Amino acid sequence: MISVASSQASAATIPHGTVELVAEDQSITPGRTLYVGLHFQLEKGWHTYWANPGDSGEPLRAAWHLPSGMAAGEMQWPAPKRFGSPTIADFGYDGETTLLVPIHASASLKPEEAAQIGADLGVLICREICVPGKAHVALSLPIKPEAQQPDARTRDLFAAARRSLPRNAPGEWKVAVLDEPDSFILVASLGRAVNHAAFFPLVESQVDNAAPQNIQQAANGFRLTLRKSDQLLKPIKRLKGVLELSANESYVIDAPVGNTRPAKEVR
Amino acid sequence: MRRTFAQISVWILLLATAQVAMSAAKVGQPAPDFSGTASDGKSYHLADYRGKFVVLEWHNNGCPYTRKHYNSGNMQNLQKQWTARGVVWFTVISSAPGKQGYVNANDENTYMSKIGAAPTAALLDPTGSIGHLYDAKTTPQMIVINPQGVIVYDGAIDNRPTSDLKDIQGATNYVTLALEQSLAGKNVDTAATRPYGCSVKYPGTWF
Repeated sequence: MISVASSQASAATIPHGTVELVAEDQSITPGRTLYVGLHFQLEKGWHTYWANPGDSGEPLRAAWHLPSGMAAGEMQWPAPKRFGSPTIADFGYDGETTLLVPIHASASLKPEEAAQIGADLGVLICREICVPGKAHVALSLPIKPEAQQPDARTRDLFAAARRSLPRNAPGEWKVAVLDEPDSFILVASLGRAVNHAAFFPLVESQVDNAAPQNIQQAANGFRLTLRKSDQLLKPIKRLKGVLELSANESYVIDAPVGNTRPAKEVR
Repeated sequence: MRRTFAQISVWILLLATAQVAMSAAKVGQPAPDFSGTASDGKSYHLADYRGKFVVLEWHNNGCPYTRKHYNSGNMQNLQKQWTARGVVWFTVISSAPGKQGYVNANDENTYMSKIGAAPTAALLDPTGSIGHLYDAKTTPQMIVINPQGVIVYDGAIDNRPTSDLKDIQGATNYVTLALEQSLAGKNVDTAATRPYGCSVKYPGTWF
């Protein structure tokens, strides 16, 4: 097998898959943000984890090694999928997925032939059983005053990665959460009816991950009943997470939690 | 006051809903009772240990998170330290036959003596009935029950949710904290956490 060496990418083997560090641009531009992607390809049946892994598992950890004057921002997590059993639910990714990370380059960076960008990764790969893996990925890029555009393969990869991210909720949506003794009721007014809704809680120990989420449909939205986690002992002020309306349509939710409900409402 | 049929119906509905939504095991509530057969061949009944603290430790000898705490000696040290102070410690193995961590009594006894494990007993729960009773999600999930039979801690063993041995040093052990605070007559500060680790390998299909 012939592999083509590229300064833009470096792949490493992990248990049951590979991870590749890919840079969107072919150079680092002082004063701009460079996006890099951690591109995972896993064998069928295996998965890694979302920021909130759910009942078991662990999210990816990355320790970045960057030239001075560069700093990694927060990882951008694609909308997760659910794995597990009727009583245990994990949240993560199977097959191919790319986690994006913005890397900020200071305006004072001096031109350089080959600046090294690397990361030590700690990743848990699971099917029913779990295998922890470690990998080092690195690539080198020149630091140049003007940006150098990505090739077609890289462009497609980053476009797909951005499509996999949960979108911002449209401004006209109204989403609130009712605080019931044993459950949260996510009340969503979207201006349209939906036939599927699944909520993935971003913060652990708030929602019972495995409990069925009962949807009550309405002409302009829905109500979704989320059982509280056994580990939740104190009230929460906001519920954050990802709302999935279809396989390719997920939204970021950050809604206030309250105990007020419309007067005279009978349910 | 006479209640209308509608009101009564609402009450029945609420009760039914509460029943379904009620947790099997939750901090501040009575620990569900169970009997189990251990690898030593004896039967253990939780209710017999009223008056003592009881620790439940979900276990899977193939799970990297369980191995972190056994290969380092951390779990064995906790078992020895607390059973010496009168605490009853049950290791619970809820792996189904054919799944990771499933053991028969002989396997478990050999393993425990090799690794120096020192619980009061290792309960064999291949049907997952004790596991489901407590809605145990992971290995090693830890539960602490006080002498009144009330759950005072449910969750992770410590505050470092990784499988790295080097993370044990300097970690806050929630089981130790719960036992120390309870023994001192205090409320447990951190009474519930996400129980990190591997999923419990119950019978049934994983998807």
